[in-house]
Amino acid sequence: MELENQLAIPGQPTKKKRTSGIPTSWLDNSARYVLIAPAVLIVLVMAIFPLLVSLYLSFSRFKFVRGGFEITFIGFANYNKLFFGSEQRHLLGKFAPLTPLDMLVMALAIGGMVYLMYRYVRSDRFRIFGFIMRIVAMIFAGALLLMLLASLTLAGWILWVLCIAILFYALFLYTKTAYYHPLGVIVGAGIIIWLSARLQSVLILPNAIGLPGTLSVTLMFVLGGVALQYFLGLGLGLLLTQNLPGKRFFRVVFLLPMMITPVGIGFLFKMMTDTLKGPFSPVWIAAGLGDFAMLGQGDTARLAVIIGDTWQWTPFVFIILLAALEGVSKETIEAALVDGANRFQMFRYLILPEIIPVSTTVILIRLIESFKLIDMPNILTGGGPGTATETLTLQAYVGWRSGDLGGSAALAYILLIVATFCAIVFVNFIRRRLLDWVK
Amino acid sequence: MTTRKTLLLFVVGLLALLSFSSFVTAQDLPFAGVELDVLTFTGPQIAEPLQRRAPDFEALTGAKINVVTVPFSDLYQTILTDQATGTLSYEAFVFAPQWMVDYVVPGYLEDLTPYVEADADLQWEDVGQFFREFSASFGGSIYTIPLDGDFHMVYYRTDVLEQIGMEPPTTWDEYLAVAAAANGMDMNGDGEGDFGSCIAKKRGEQGYWWITSIAAPFIQTQGTSQGAFFDAETFNPLVNNAGFIRALEIYKETNQYGSPDELAMGVGDTRGMWTSGRCALTLDWGDIGSLAVAEGSQVNGLTGAVISPGSTMVLDRATGELVECSAETCPNAIDGVNHAPFAAFGGWSGGVSSQIDQLAKDAAYAYFSYMAQPAQANVDVTIGATGFNPYRISQFEDNTAWLAGGFSEESAAVYLGAIEASLNSPNMVLDLRIPQNQRYQGVVLDEVLSRFLADELTAAEAAAEIEARWNEISDELGREDQLAAYLNTLGTQGGN
Amino acid sequence: MIRRLLTSSNPFRPSPIWMAISYVLLGFWAFVVLFPLYWLAVTAFKLPADVNDGPAYIPFVDYQPVMDAWNYLLVESGENFVRRPYINTIGVGIASALGSLVLGAAASYALARFDYRPKLALIGLFIVCVLLTVLITGLGVPWQLSVVAAIAVYALLAQSVGRRFSAALGNSDIAFWLISQRMLPPVAVIIPIYIMFQQFGLLNTHAALVIAYTAAHLPLAVWFLRDYFQGIPIELEESAFIDGANRYQVLWRIILPLSTPGLIATFLIVLVFAWNEYTMALFLTGAETQTMPLLVAAQNATRGPQWWNISVLVLMMITPIVVLAVILERYIARGILVGAVKG
Repeated sequence: MELENQLAIPGQPTKKKRTSGIPTSWLDNSARYVLIAPAVLIVLVMAIFPLLVSLYLSFSRFKFVRGGFEITFIGFANYNKLFFGSEQRHLLGKFAPLTPLDMLVMALAIGGMVYLMYRYVRSDRFRIFGFIMRIVAMIFAGALLLMLLASLTLAGWILWVLCIAILFYALFLYTKTAYYHPLGVIVGAGIIIWLSARLQSVLILPNAIGLPGTLSVTLMFVLGGVALQYFLGLGLGLLLTQNLPGKRFFRVVFLLPMMITPVGIGFLFKMMTDTLKGPFSPVWIAAGLGDFAMLGQGDTARLAVIIGDTWQWTPFVFIILLAALEGVSKETIEAALVDGANRFQMFRYLILPEIIPVSTTVILIRLIESFKLIDMPNILTGGGPGTATETLTLQAYVGWRSGDLGGSAALAYILLIVATFCAIVFVNFIRRRLLDWVK
Repeated sequence: MTTRKTLLLFVVGLLALLSFSSFVTAQDLPFAGVELDVLTFTGPQIAEPLQRRAPDFEALTGAKINVVTVPFSDLYQTILTDQATGTLSYEAFVFAPQWMVDYVVPGYLEDLTPYVEADADLQWEDVGQFFREFSASFGGSIYTIPLDGDFHMVYYRTDVLEQIGMEPPTTWDEYLAVAAAANGMDMNGDGEGDFGSCIAKKRGEQGYWWITSIAAPFIQTQGTSQGAFFDAETFNPLVNNAGFIRALEIYKETNQYGSPDELAMGVGDTRGMWTSGRCALTLDWGDIGSLAVAEGSQVNGLTGAVISPGSTMVLDRATGELVECSAETCPNAIDGVNHAPFAAFGGWSGGVSSQIDQLAKDAAYAYFSYMAQPAQANVDVTIGATGFNPYRISQFEDNTAWLAGGFSEESAAVYLGAIEASLNSPNMVLDLRIPQNQRYQGVVLDEVLSRFLADELTAAEAAAEIEARWNEISDELGREDQLAAYLNTLGTQGGN
Repeated sequence: MIRRLLTSSNPFRPSPIWMAISYVLLGFWAFVVLFPLYWLAVTAFKLPADVNDGPAYIPFVDYQPVMDAWNYLLVESGENFVRRPYINTIGVGIASALGSLVLGAAASYALARFDYRPKLALIGLFIVCVLLTVLITGLGVPWQLSVVAAIAVYALLAQSVGRRFSAALGNSDIAFWLISQRMLPPVAVIIPIYIMFQQFGLLNTHAALVIAYTAAHLPLAVWFLRDYFQGIPIELEESAFIDGANRYQVLWRIILPLSTPGLIATFLIVLVFAWNEYTMALFLTGAETQTMPLLVAAQNATRGPQWWNISVLVLMMITPIVVLAVILERYIARGILVGAVKG
């Protein structure tokens, strides 16, 4: 059975033997296990026990009693409360009734997924296990889309759609030679039509819009943040691989934000966004926005969080991509220059293929880390106004801090499942394709 | 019978110990070799006086005190984890009495009643009645030694009120009227309009505390033991009623007279605004009084304080409607206004772990007693850098220490007068101290209130949602248990 | 003329127009990065009143800089108030970063060069054994005994189970499993880890933080280094094997020197992660072992954030890392080596 095809990162071709064929001594044979064992063991010990305990906690009620604590098994009650009970509004958001257009989007998405599934079933890659995993993924993706359709505010949607469009375009830039792709144009046009219709419905029925819950907010932060960080980091990296005087200065400067403790960055941005005593308050007043508080409105507060997060983590993407860009052979570039290649061609055909493996790694890591975003919203807004900037991790933290360990563990597991789902989708649908193309 | 005996023996032993301690120069120090780790939060407010007085205490008794600190927001959970898992890294804690129940019910805290009874130096009777009988006690037994007195008051700018010709507010409607009149005036001479009311409304910080101060005068009329959070018989939340809804509306209306940033402000921000002269009114703990006279303040001598405003209309609990104040409905009213000052947080207090050996317990108690004795406490409360606010009667009688702390004669009188009026109020509101109260307030109330302030909910919807979700938590934790704990904190049941 | 502007004689030096555009963009981002840091630096020398009275930008012009916050933190609060967490942070950060780097380099080399085919059935058996251990421990058996029993069961069944089912995972699954350990938020794992460390008597020791950080940041190191090692041509190793070197010598003498930029970048990153970590530090440390992030977070107490103190502490925290980054920057730039051997 080829599990790898369904589950895993096919970065390394497993068929192609990369082990050198030189016969080796017992010392070399032992290396195979000696080298990897410490890492696997330490992660196993530090991960398995907490994972199991948290899983059990998420199905129980935790109570401090005389002489210690008491854990009562309560089945799915914690999850039930979050998905269907009093916490639904908090976790999933306030749902607006679906417009016909939303239904159309939903139908198109389902249709697309069914079509992909049909192709998969007909292909020779078909496996029962893979089929089941795909069904689960389909249901999951459908549910997420439904939640987003019903609960996101307009600005949230614009952000969301913008990021998807950029990613989509970037993907085609990677994989196709043309500047545009017919499918991209169709999707783009569809998005614009749908957004304008959405805007009209908002103008007519302002109360009919939903409000995002912590899950949608987290996804917004993840997608917006990671996309911004990646493109900024790539841009800065490209600028700094040029032979510019003073580039070493910029390199060190660009790394600085990453070195500050996240709590400190939270406070730093609290100062930056303060409209009374922050450094930008004269700018606000001059712009006639003296009465406007960035953290007082849901959409702008979310924007503030994304800006802060991007400021903090762009250096991380930057340093990794820079190291990868530095690894691109100068001889090849020189040869291309002699052949008269222009800037875009050089990037597209020489540099991009080289940095794609690292790019996908760094995106995956940022994806995973972004799901845990907590300090920035906690310090800037405490999750408010309302629940506009509250992430899943923050919600879990607040519950945990107040002694609701069961509910908090359930939230952590929901986060784990969503993050795993997104990571697997990224790995299987995007990373694999890109790596295949690079090969 | 046997417990009595051991108790007696114990008290005798303690007395013997204490008498020894008065002959320290001649005898061995009673706690020589004892080392105590005392846990509190980082920052000068509480840790500084504890640390400052530790060497003196060591010289006196031989016990070495290490003050260990963690960030404020994680103190509650750190104490709980340490005690529940039996790690016992710390012998004693300085924490908010609001958390007491979560430590007392599982038996983590030592019952200090016999210690207090045997300790004359503490001058227990000098401690304000509210702190003795409610704040420090649970089910009739004493578990903590108060080191600080915390409750909400309203502060006003004397010059601004004079300018607009208004009196300090006695009801919340008057508060709104003053705020409306003062809003937009330039109060610090920088040419920019300033704000009528500053209240720290940030979610996850102090946003949810103020609503109780506003709602309590509508809801609690019959004295502290009536309670302002739950019905004492059915344990239904006192939330979905005309009084609380009116309070929600008042709370939201203060938005109009505050900074546009108010929803993202904590007390650090509003206190900074107050000392730089940008607010006409603010609702806060006792800290403003000493901050206003501290160095760098622009409102030194311009800061007045009054007891938290009240209401002339109060809730009829039977009907859920508001009725006029009368001798019957508001027995504690002053000039027809029912005041209910809210002892939010309750004042930092010291508690002793029950799971350590007896000598360490004695030493830990002796240390807190030492800190709380008038000789030490009456000096500490006047130092602005400490977070200690007055809680002893003797602290009001003599204003010399206050004058030395930077107060003028007049502002000391106004400030102490407001505190005294609050402390003497028989209708003071005890903070919610049932098990897992953080889930009621820090999670549900905080979230719903923030959504209400952000216009996602109407007042009625917010009240209904708080009620439903509080009931849900009560049912989950056991309604009977919660009710019993609630009554215990109110002192109406239990005891010896 | 325009042609001269757009093209450059030196192929690696961009044309003047491109250079101008590049500098504008770089300058803009440098401003974005540096302005908040400048604000931090000036705030560290302000009095509370200077902060609360509205923005003051330039020392000596808008306000009079004072050392009050420094004095408060470094002198008035006692010499150990900052010094101890500072030393702890440095020690724990470097130790755990080195730990992650060493273990991570070994593991990622193995993942890049060997094919692992862990049997799915054996993993399943392992999980069953772990669950069994938990279950019988829950029934009152001492945990040492149940662990031994589970190991025995595993050893007994492993061979036959392994032979019967052939489905296996690959290297990429192992890598994904490693990185997936970072998905659970710290609040969810902190109580179990606390209890675990309590059992081993590790609470309130430096070792606790070093172990926790090494494990937490190991997956990051593995992922970064795997990419670098894969980029190194296998022919280089083969020639070394022909010369009689063994695996460890090859790793030590050929792979690691060639991956210096990757190793240094990885070291910097895991160091920064360990340096700045908050939640685990909060629970696993006591008075003696507290680290700097706790001190920063603690400056937001009942009186609201103490901007001036936070600024001082953050400045103190980033200084050593910045110095390190400046020193190591030249090594990161040597990444060109990898490309050279490839071409």
